[in-house]
Formats: sequence, structure tokens, C-alpha cells
Amino acid sequence: MPQTPRAPHAYQSGTLARIVDGLRYGGGIGQWSWLAHRLSGLGILFFLIVHITDTFFVVFAPDWYDHTVAIYGGVWFDGHYYWPLRWAFRVAELGLIASVVFHAINGVGVILYDLWPKGSLYRKPILWTVQVAFWGIMLVTTPIVLYPLRKAPDQPAASRPAPPPAGVASVVPGR
Amino acid sequence: MTARSTGRRIRPSGGYELFMWYFMRLSGLALVFLAVGHLFIMHILNNVETINYAFVASRWTAPRTGWIWRLWDASLISLAVIHGFNGLRQVLYEYLSAGGRIVAGTVTWALTAVFIGAGGYSILMFQPDEGFIKEHPLKIERTTEISSASAPPASQPISVAR
Amino acid sequence: MLSQAELIDPQARTLTVRIKRYNPEVDEKPHWEEYKVEADGHDRVLDVIQKVKWEQDDTLSLRRSCAHGVCGSDAMRINGSNGLACKILVKNLRSDTLTLEPILGLPVLKDLIVDMKPFFDHYKSVMPFLVNDEQPPTAERLQSPAERARFDESTKCILCACCTTACPPFWGDRKYVGPAAIVNAHRFIFDSRDRGAAERLEILNDAEGVWRCRTVFNCTSACPRDIKVTQTISEVKRLLMTGNIDLDTAPSVVIGN
Ligand code: HEM
Ligand code: SF4
Ligand code: SF4
Ligand code: FES
Repeated sequence: MPQTPRAPHAYQSGTLARIVDGLRYGGGIGQWSWLAHRLSGLGILFFLIVHITDTFFVVFAPDWYDHTVAIYGGVWFDGHYYWPLRWAFRVAELGLIASVVFHAINGVGVILYDLWPKGSLYRKPILWTVQVAFWGIMLVTTPIVLYPLRKAPDQPAASRPAPPPAGVASVVPGR
Repeated sequence: MTARSTGRRIRPSGGYELFMWYFMRLSGLALVFLAVGHLFIMHILNNVETINYAFVASRWTAPRTGWIWRLWDASLISLAVIHGFNGLRQVLYEYLSAGGRIVAGTVTWALTAVFIGAGGYSILMFQPDEGFIKEHPLKIERTTEISSASAPPASQPISVAR
Repeated sequence: MLSQAELIDPQARTLTVRIKRYNPEVDEKPHWEEYKVEADGHDRVLDVIQKVKWEQDDTLSLRRSCAHGVCGSDAMRINGSNGLACKILVKNLRSDTLTLEPILGLPVLKDLIVDMKPFFDHYKSVMPFLVNDEQPPTAERLQSPAERARFDESTKCILCACCTTACPPFWGDRKYVGPAAIVNAHRFIFDSRDRGAAERLEILNDAEGVWRCRTVFNCTSACPRDIKVTQTISEVKRLLMTGNIDLDTAPSVVIGN
């Protein structure tokens, strides 16, 4: 009797391949919301780590603290103003705000699914409410955050009396 | 603790994953006020370009409201760090096998302790350096020059939210 | 006068069928192949696949049995999302390209056939059978209509695996029991005649149990039996938290989704 040949092996994709393949899955807005929730959560965590570290400077090196936060305004450690630096930090700031706003609103939706007995029966309305609330808030917030970029800081950078303190110079390579 | 069924009722079970799952949701609700409120005050009412040492000092050492801001910031940091690193742990668990999970669990909890320690220390142990504040006072106006030339003395009433 | 084709079905169309093929005897990994099929609007996706198999390439392998959405054997990824090939009509396809792949996360044996063993192992792990060692009554174990309705939703499962293989946490972590196993645990946990709830909850109260669920709802959208899968998972989660089995609560009402 001829034997049925057994398949020599089965195909098993790796974890990474499955995740990438999953991006093509038609999970629609629900699956994208989940992905955005995860990525925004991890992004905020990264920012939080940086932020706790820079705030730590207030207790032992006030000058380091001032020079670090001055970067947000486009002033590098050398005391000079660079507009691309300021623009980049503004846009990143907007990204942080968007991440927190989305994560917070969508997080409340997730909490509703889990803790409100009927929550998961109202999935579509909750998903759309999250979208409307998020874009509504960002529509108002974006201009407020970007408004100061309309003009450069009042004084020209050259005339700025901001010599770096001795403590900082030592941590900036190339100075 | 184990679940035990006695006819129609079952005692709630305890357990690490159940507890952390619940914590994620409760801390999430608290963070809606703490984190979003913090962003609103710092990025909308104020402007990050005006934040400096003197600003931080004025908030945390304000005569009547200082302790509120310190309490706010300390709660925000503790809850957000635990919430965030536990979230990271859950994500890592999803993609790691048994051995990797032990490492991920240990590392995330260790980092949780480190960052709550660092953040809590800055907030609670902060002592203003008056000399430094005199030299580098508050910056108030949005888009105002980074230099302190035009800023008023720190003692003057200012328009930042506190 | 209407032509013959229009009389049969005005929505007849030519489909480009892309199928992810894998032959374990020659292939290292799956590859795509394309076929052209004349399909009637009332044809099911399963009919289209069979046209390919019968008329163009008889090496194409798939599982199917009832062809009427009852046995759950022809679950596959159709145009990106999971479904039963025998339940989706050609007229409901949004594009003229029909993309077919095996469900994601289980080992592929050949073409559209996956190894269901890991899936059924998860199913078995939650004790999907009635547990009651009390003295049996002389007649049947009676149950009120309300008590029966409490778990009606989860009795509808046909174990097709559409839900579990649509679940992003399952793609990452194949030790996760998955939505199908939780639905079938729910089936017995909320059954007034059952006494095994505590043991099942113990199994599900784990990083590989209900707590792995991230409420993505892919399972609910994929279920060909329209089971409110995420809702049943949430009910198990809440039971683990509160200990309140609330058998008398009205069954989950069907609102939107
Ligand atoms: C603003 C209010 C916030 C709310 C309402 C909230 C809510 C939630 C909820 C409910 C989850 C669980 C998601 C799930 O199990 O599917 C979660 C996960 C997470 N959160 Fe938050 N959160 C907030 C703020 C934050 C902050 C400030 C951080 C960063 C430090 C953060 C980082 C994370 C991370 C990394 C996860 C894991 C994501 C995942 O499991 O996919 N969250 N959040
Ligand atoms: S609701 Fe839970 S079980 Fe269903 S697909 Fe999402 S994560 Fe998976
Ligand atoms: S719950 Fe639905 S999708 Fe999942 S196995 Fe059962 S019938 Fe299939
Ligand atoms: S063949 Fe039985 S469900 Fe489709």
C-alpha cells in the first residue's frame, strides 16, 4: 500500500515577520488605535525618562538646568540661537502633546470597554468619539503651540549675553 | 489567592497580572487629570521657552500653593513611571519567551525604582538657590529674549499660572 | 433584451485571485500566485477557490467540509481579514482583486491549510466540558430560560480560529490562550449547572490568559458567528475582579459593533 508522504516541514514565520504581516490585517480603525495607543505610550515613556533626568538638574546644578531647557527655545549650549533647533523642538513638543492627548482619550475608551459592563458593545461609537475628540483638541492646540514660531526671539542671537557656565562647558564636547 | 467557587459566588482572585491590569486602568484615570493638566499648564498657559530654574523655584516654593504643585508633580511622576514601565513590561512580555521575560520584568521594575527615586528626590528635596535666581530671573513674555536683560526682578508678581 | 449573463447575474465579474501558495516538499517559504476567474455575483469565495482548483491548478490545497458556515474548517485571510470562504459572496467584495492567505500565527502545512493543533491545545487547556461532581438529580439538571440565555452567546462558537488568528497579541505571543479558548471557557463558567468555574478562572488569571487581551476587537470583527467575542472576554475579566458571577443578569444585548 503506498504511503502518504508526510510533509517534510511546516512553514512557521518568526515573531517579527508575523507582526509585520499583521500590519496588513484588515483590523481597520480599531487595530490602528491599538497600535497608536501602544506607540504613543512608549513614546511618552521615553520622553518622561528624559524629562525626569533634566529636572534632576534643578537640585544640584541650576545652570545646567537653565542651559538644558534653553535648548527648547533654540539656544544651544554655546549660547547661540539656531532657528532649526527651535522649530524642531516645537514640532516635537506638538508630537508629545498629541501623543498624550491621544493616549489619554483612547485610554479612557479602553477603560470603558473593560470596566463598564456594556462598554464593549459600544465599540464603534467609542472609537469615533475618540477620533472626534482627538482631532478637535489638536485643531485648537496646534496653532497655540506653533504660534510663537511666527517670529524669531526679539534680540538677535549675537547680542545675547549668555556665556555658558563653567560646569556646562566641560560636558559639551568640542568646546 | 485562588478563586473558589461556592455555588453561585466566586471569590475574586488576586494575582500579579490582575493587580497590574487594574492598576493600569486606575492610574490611567488619575493620569488624565495629572498628565493632561500638567501639559495644559506648562505648554498652553505657559510656554516652554519661558521655563527656567527661577520658574521651577517660583512654583515649588510659592508660599501657599507650593506644596500643591509638589504633591501634583510627585504623584504624576510616581504613577506615570509605574504605569509607563509596566506598560513597557507588558509589551515586552508579549514578544519575549520565558527567560527574556524574567530579564524584562526585573529591568523594568529596577528602572521604575530608579526614576521614581530621581524624580521624587528632585521634587521633594528641592531648595531654591536665591543667588542664582537673582542672576537669572523669570522670563515672562512669550517669545521674549532668552537673556534676562528685560525681565523684572523675581520678587515682582508675575503672570505665570501657579 | 437582456443577455444570458445579465439574466443570471448582473454583477458577474472577472476576479484576479492572488493566493499565497506553499508546498512543503519544494518551497522554503510561501510565495504568491495569480489566477483569473470569471465569477458570478452570487458565488461564494469558496466557489472561486474551487474554480481555480478544478479548472486551473489542482495542486491548490485547502480545507473545507460543510460549505455552509457550520463546520468552521475553511477559515482563511480574505482580502486582509479573516473569514470563512463559504460565507463571503463575490458581490460583497470591494475590489476585483481577491487576496487569499492562510490564517496568521499557526504553522502553514500547505497552501491555505494550517496546523490547528496549537489552537486546539489552547482550547483544551480551559476544560471545555461540564464539570459537576455533585450527586446527579433523578431527572435532568434543570435550568431556567434566563440561566440558559446567560451563556447563549458563547455556545455559538464553531472553533474556526478566525478570532484567535486575527488577534495582534496572539501574533506576538502564541502561548496566549486566545479569544476562542476564552469564549469556550465563558460557555461553561456562566452555565448555572457547572461547578468548574473556579478552576477555569485560575487558568485564565494569567499573563497568558485573559490579561493578554488588549481589547483590539479584531476577534469580534472576524467572528463568522457574530459572537461578541471581546464582550465575553470582558465578562470573564470582570468576574475575576469582582467574584460576582451574576448569572441572573440579562444576556448581552446586541448593540452596534
Ligand atoms: C493620560 C492618561 C493616561 C491614560 C488614560 C492611560 C491609559 C492606559 C491604559 C488603559 C493602558 C492599558 C492598555 C491596554 O491594556 O490595552 C495603557 C497602557 C500604556 N500606557 Fe498609558 N495612560 C495614560 C498615560 C500614560 C503615560 C503618561 C505613559 C508614559 C509614561 C503611558 C504609557 C503607557 C504604556 C507604555 C502602555 C502599554 C501599551 C500597551 O500595552 O500596548 N500612559 N495606558
Ligand atoms: S479583543 Fe482581545 S482577544 Fe480579541 S483580538 Fe483584541 S486582543 Fe485579541
Ligand atoms: S469565537 Fe467565532 S471566530 Fe472564534 S473560533 Fe468561535 S466561531 Fe470562530
Ligand atoms: S466549509 Fe464548513 S464553515 Fe466553511
